[in-house]
Amino acid sequence: MGSTPKGTPALTLSSVSKAYPGVQALDSVDLVAYPGEVLAICGANGAGKSTLAKLIAGQERPSGGEVRIGGVEHDIRTPSEAADSGVLFMHQDPLVIEDFTVAENVWLSGISAQKGNRALKMTATQTADRTLQALAAVGMRGLPLSTRAGDLAPGSRQMLALSRTQVQDHNILILDETTASTTEEHFKVVEELVRRERDAGVCVIFVSHRMDEVFAMADRIAVLRGGKLVDVVSTADTERDDVVTLMIGEALESMEAPLPHEQAPEPVLTATGLAAGGARDVTMTAGAGEVVGIYGLVGSGRSSFARAITGNMPVDDGTLTLRGKPVRFRSNRDAMARGIVYLSEDRKREGFVKDFSNGFNMTLSTLEDYSTAGVINVRKERKRVLELTAEYQVKGGPNVLTRTLSGGNQQKVCIARGLEASPSVIVLDEPTKGIDVRARLNIYNIIRALAEQGKTVIVVSSEAEELLSICHRIVVMRDGAIVSERPPRQSTTDDLIRDALEGVAA
Amino acid sequence: MSGIAPSTGPHTSGTDVNTIIVPKESTGSKLARLAKEQYPLAILIVLLIVAGLSSDAFFSARNITNLLVQVSVIGIVTLAQFMIIVSSGIDISVGSIVALAGVMGAVMFSGNSVFLAIVVSIVIGIISGSLTGYLVSYRKLEPFIVTLGVMALGRGLVYAATEGSPVAPGAADFRAIATATIAGIPLLAIIWIVLAIAVAFVMNRTVFGRRVFAIGSSKDAARAAGIPVERTLMLVYVVAGAMIGFAGFLLASRVGVATPTAGNLYELDAIAAVVIGGTSLVGGRGRVLGAVIGTVILGVISNLLVLLNVSTYLQDAFRGGLILVAIVLTSLQFASRRKRRKAAEAV
Repeated sequence: MGSTPKGTPALTLSSVSKAYPGVQALDSVDLVAYPGEVLAICGANGAGKSTLAKLIAGQERPSGGEVRIGGVEHDIRTPSEAADSGVLFMHQDPLVIEDFTVAENVWLSGISAQKGNRALKMTATQTADRTLQALAAVGMRGLPLSTRAGDLAPGSRQMLALSRTQVQDHNILILDETTASTTEEHFKVVEELVRRERDAGVCVIFVSHRMDEVFAMADRIAVLRGGKLVDVVSTADTERDDVVTLMIGEALESMEAPLPHEQAPEPVLTATGLAAGGARDVTMTAGAGEVVGIYGLVGSGRSSFARAITGNMPVDDGTLTLRGKPVRFRSNRDAMARGIVYLSEDRKREGFVKDFSNGFNMTLSTLEDYSTAGVINVRKERKRVLELTAEYQVKGGPNVLTRTLSGGNQQKVCIARGLEASPSVIVLDEPTKGIDVRARLNIYNIIRALAEQGKTVIVVSSEAEELLSICHRIVVMRDGAIVSERPPRQSTTDDLIRDALEGVAA
Repeated sequence: MSGIAPSTGPHTSGTDVNTIIVPKESTGSKLARLAKEQYPLAILIVLLIVAGLSSDAFFSARNITNLLVQVSVIGIVTLAQFMIIVSSGIDISVGSIVALAGVMGAVMFSGNSVFLAIVVSIVIGIISGSLTGYLVSYRKLEPFIVTLGVMALGRGLVYAATEGSPVAPGAADFRAIATATIAGIPLLAIIWIVLAIAVAFVMNRTVFGRRVFAIGSSKDAARAAGIPVERTLMLVYVVAGAMIGFAGFLLASRVGVATPTAGNLYELDAIAAVVIGGTSLVGGRGRVLGAVIGTVILGVISNLLVLLNVSTYLQDAFRGGLILVAIVLTSLQFASRRKRRKAAEAV
């Protein structure tokens, strides 16, 4: 590792193309990466960055051109061949086996099809010390090695997958949107890890569309747009806006927080001393026409609170009032009937039905509106679905399976489904997770439009910047309680993070 | 809701709505796609050609009538199994419940009234369906293991009630339904087809059916969308149970007596027919027409084995082997579709 001097490429792509039926995912891309550098690959969703990462890792084969790993004379055909050549690939969805223990997951490469692993060979027993070291290097301390990986939070799972960088030989490390499911706290660990890898002479390929991370870590940035390599720039002499411009092909204005209401809006939903799951004692009010942001780190109880006020989690203690009347929801159906809708942060699991088309997904919560005595009026449903796909500009129209779309389009479908129920209170949990810049603006515009119509919008997010640009008010949660309230126009990302880390409940 | 048009903002750039929304499909590719989706039908046609060539007797009116009578009962059980599998469950107790319903229909009230026998059979099916449905939906137990228990329970009760020997019902017209024909078509087959149309309607055109597909595909998403998951699942098993119970009566009626071994291995045929018909065993996807064609495919295979004088002892082995072949054929189609989908997702 790291013995190759700079100058000999660790990786060379020469006019690499990848075509899928009907789509040219990559179009003749030439790219060289060197040992001891961090090369970021940026692009909007659908630009081809994940395809590129997969080609390097041997998960897919190019339909034209070639991918050469330094020191290897032939094409890479399979993932295990790539691993044998020193490529370590970190998936966007953390590759952990849920029913294995944490320790078993660290040493997962021991059962892969790599060289030296024969099926009948006993799997090597590894010392607990080395396992603990590997975990500590990715910030996972004090975790029993026998913990089932499936019991970890998504962010921790990704860190667990990353611990393999410590035990598996590699000279190219590919991070494919690795930080998409982690939070800002994990990010520091990833940043530190990437720095160490680079110093050890590893070539780090970092796929992302989050500018913060890219600028914090990368030496060079390769920008993809529509499958073509637009430019490779050096981080040191490039502005963030320039990269974004390259990504989306036009200048992007940043959004400014809406003006605060002149007088306090009429309260709609009020929680008093609410306790549920991770939320211990939350007291807050959200009014009509207001976008209220809830900021907090993972484990602060923000999602528990969001789920509890929408009937998705039982309330343990405290009261909830809706327009002055105390309410208690037995289920989310109950809450929906009262006009409260929750959109989950886990889009794939709770957002949409995986075998349903956009149309079916959008009408799922409101089927009764299109039916008489339980029989669906197909024509009426169809008409509404066509209106909705046009209104929300959902890619592919009503008949395409939602799961085949990009995150942004999936989220539009989820939002359409929720809003079809004509709610007066909308709670969005991480509404722009894994969604690219342009689609984000779409979502922000929807949120604004909702508030302008007098609806109450509560947005839970771990991205401070996002809340600062869309909310009228932001509350910060820590340890299951609210520690501060911040006016977005007079606050910075730093204020929010500081409160979330060290704030004390009044 | 209207006026939330999200993308009228300044940043959406020139994506013209009309260009992306309605993907037009050429007639040719549409036909090709339809043909691909009818994979089970293609298998059936090939099978019918083979059958016609290898036995002169196959296409005789008598054999076809016989074939229809043979597949109707299992066809109804397959429809019930179809609904359960779409909800991402499975029911391996169908054979036992068919036997139990038939026996109870013939035994209670001494089998003196056909009407009462039908009611008793359906009620038995509903009771068993409610038990399974309750355990699967509200107690969240695995359908496989629950119905394994119900299977043993049902068959055990059958043996207890009959003491191992066939029971003849008292009513003289007990066989009437099974032997009647309308315009030369056996009434049994007509009942089966009417039920198939009813199930297709319920699954594709009603709120209940849409919910079943949603739950089978993504239970959590269904719940998040406000669907009453438990209630819907319960109803699936109850409705399926009623159909299985009715099938139990029809089988007893066809045979003339309620035999304790009735419905043996029906779970195998019903599940195989559903899968051959292109329904995903993980749930959420499938078509009633496929399940009907799957039933006919299995029926033709059995029928042909008899016509070709394959030894009774070998018939089951042949049937099992041919089921495997048919399932492999359908999986080939799924694999290619999966590849394409994977490709589309990767972009």
